[in-house]
Amino acid sequence: MKILITEDDHETLTYVSAGLQQAGHIVDSAKDGYEGLFLAKEGDYDLLVVDRMLPGLDGLSLVKMLRSAGCNIPVLFLTTMCGIDDRVEGLNAGADDYLVKPFAFSELSARVNALLRRPRESVEQKILQVAGLEIDLLKRAVRRSGQLIDLQPTEYRLLEYLLRHAGQIVTRTMLLESVWDFHFDPKTNIVETHISRLRAKLNTGNKSDLIHTVRGAGYLIHEAN
Amino acid sequence: MKLISRVGSISFKLSALYLGLFLVSFLAIGIAVYMLTTQTLEQQLKNSIEMEVNRLKTEYDSGGIAELADEINEVDGKGSRSLLEYGVIQGNGTLIAGSFSGFKNFAGWQTVTQSAKANKVGNTFLYVRVIALSNNIWLGVAHNGETIQNAGAAIIRAFIWGFVLVIFLGAMGGLYLSRAFLRKIQSITTSTQAIIAGDLKHRLPVSKNRDELDELAFLLNRMLDKIGLLLENIQQVSNDIAHDLRTPISHLKFRLEDTLTKNLTAEQYPERIAFAIEEVDSILDTFSAMLRISQIESGSRRSGFKTVNLSAIVVSVIDALQPVAEEQGKAIRVDIDQDVTLTGDKELLTQLVFNLLDNAILHTPCNTQIQVSLRLSDAHIEWVVADNGSGIAEVYHQKVFQRFYRLEQSRTTPGNGLGLSIVAAIVALHEGSLTLFDNKPGLKVVLQLSSQ
Repeated sequence: MKILITEDDHETLTYVSAGLQQAGHIVDSAKDGYEGLFLAKEGDYDLLVVDRMLPGLDGLSLVKMLRSAGCNIPVLFLTTMCGIDDRVEGLNAGADDYLVKPFAFSELSARVNALLRRPRESVEQKILQVAGLEIDLLKRAVRRSGQLIDLQPTEYRLLEYLLRHAGQIVTRTMLLESVWDFHFDPKTNIVETHISRLRAKLNTGNKSDLIHTVRGAGYLIHEAN
Repeated sequence: MKLISRVGSISFKLSALYLGLFLVSFLAIGIAVYMLTTQTLEQQLKNSIEMEVNRLKTEYDSGGIAELADEINEVDGKGSRSLLEYGVIQGNGTLIAGSFSGFKNFAGWQTVTQSAKANKVGNTFLYVRVIALSNNIWLGVAHNGETIQNAGAAIIRAFIWGFVLVIFLGAMGGLYLSRAFLRKIQSITTSTQAIIAGDLKHRLPVSKNRDELDELAFLLNRMLDKIGLLLENIQQVSNDIAHDLRTPISHLKFRLEDTLTKNLTAEQYPERIAFAIEEVDSILDTFSAMLRISQIESGSRRSGFKTVNLSAIVVSVIDALQPVAEEQGKAIRVDIDQDVTLTGDKELLTQLVFNLLDNAILHTPCNTQIQVSLRLSDAHIEWVVADNGSGIAEVYHQKVFQRFYRLEQSRTTPGNGLGLSIVAAIVALHEGSLTLFDNKPGLKVVLQLSSQ
């Protein structure tokens, strides 16, 4: 995939672009807002990573101008940790996701993958299915190997999110944001606890684990191989 | 430098303007007085000339030219006390009677300039009334205009002196006022410079006059007080940060040095690096918590306030934490009023509710019962988290809200001592109140908010 990073801080730029290149992406970079906007319009990118604070044109205006120009490339917005208002502003401006600096590369990578796989025109699916696990989105019914599993609403949302991102690593923060709408970092192991409950329910009858823990990154559901 | 500052000063400009206006009006009055006086004197003079002319005309009418000549000789003769000068001329200018012939042969008022006499400086002029008698014979009666000129000159002199005096007094007054005003400004400037130089306790002088400058100085002093308070707060926070971060940073340094000097196997390195990253993460967490607190305290998020359903927040927080509590053998009993709403920041209120319940779970022993309730009565919201755990001694009820403060009993649990500081900041942002009570046994935390 072709990714454009607009970031003026050299360290961050090198860190992010090296990581993404290693993950097999083609990475271009822009050092200021105007260059970023120009490249984003000209180049055929699959994803933009845009910093909030940029020389020339700031990240927020860049995204706004891009969107008003009718460009709907997914945008991942980077903000500093003091800018807690930036998230709302960024999403309002038209960004698809945001990440607060400093971040772990695994977090960035997970979000980049999630955005790249996000279907541009989402066809409403009725059934999600991975490795013998099946969710009926209309009836909110979960089956494993044909056997109905009773889940609490939260457990259901957790599983749905994991299945929608099947094959991708989903981080703890992504789950906190999407399942609980928590935009702070609770020190308590909420996600771990809920995941282990969900696992237990999915694994009843000595079945193999479907939710894999990726150390230092997050969780993953994928077709068994 | 000093003169320039005085000339440029507002008070000097004001007094200069005042002086200017005063001088203009003074000049106008001077001109008016001069005109009026000279005109009145001229009129009087002309009247007396006119009377004399009329008298002589009567003489002429009754006795002809001879009678007139006699009369003129009598009044114009030597030793006469009359200041008037007389003359009768023919059309060609020949003097027939009297001694004055410097007028033209037409009727009306004429002015004749007389060159300087030996004992006088400058020219004088004569007012001459000329009438036609008959047969191309003209009678002229003249009077010296010297008195009028003298009076005019006297007035001009008086006004010039007055002018000089006004300029002098005005300028002196202006400078004096300006100095008095500047002295006050100077004292404010000096005080300000002292404050800039670092003496933050210094305040501007306020005199008892309570004039506008004192009012200003008073307000500036209040502003300085407020800034001083904020600054103290910042200093306190910086000290706290320095203290709190020293420990993890020194730990990190020791471990890294240790890693560098010891001969470790390749397998041992990732473990050391992972530890270092963990330590750095905790330091970054502390920073971001600090920044979050200061941003909440700045009140900037108030602009994004919306109607928030607190009941829904409480339900989702309990939903998230219930399994965690159960895992630790703690039970949460819930009693919630539906659709409790208020105007606020959803994200922050979620964190507030979360932190309070999380604390109850984190800092209580096993088998603790936690009772939470959300009540709404008369626009008054009360969120209570009560437990029957070990509680907090009353002396610490205020201290736990201080930044980085950690009770002895919770030093071993993870955390940075900022959780309740964030809570306090969020409560303050929403103009609520948070109180700790002894639940006998345990702790009861009561959060009160207004649903408006």
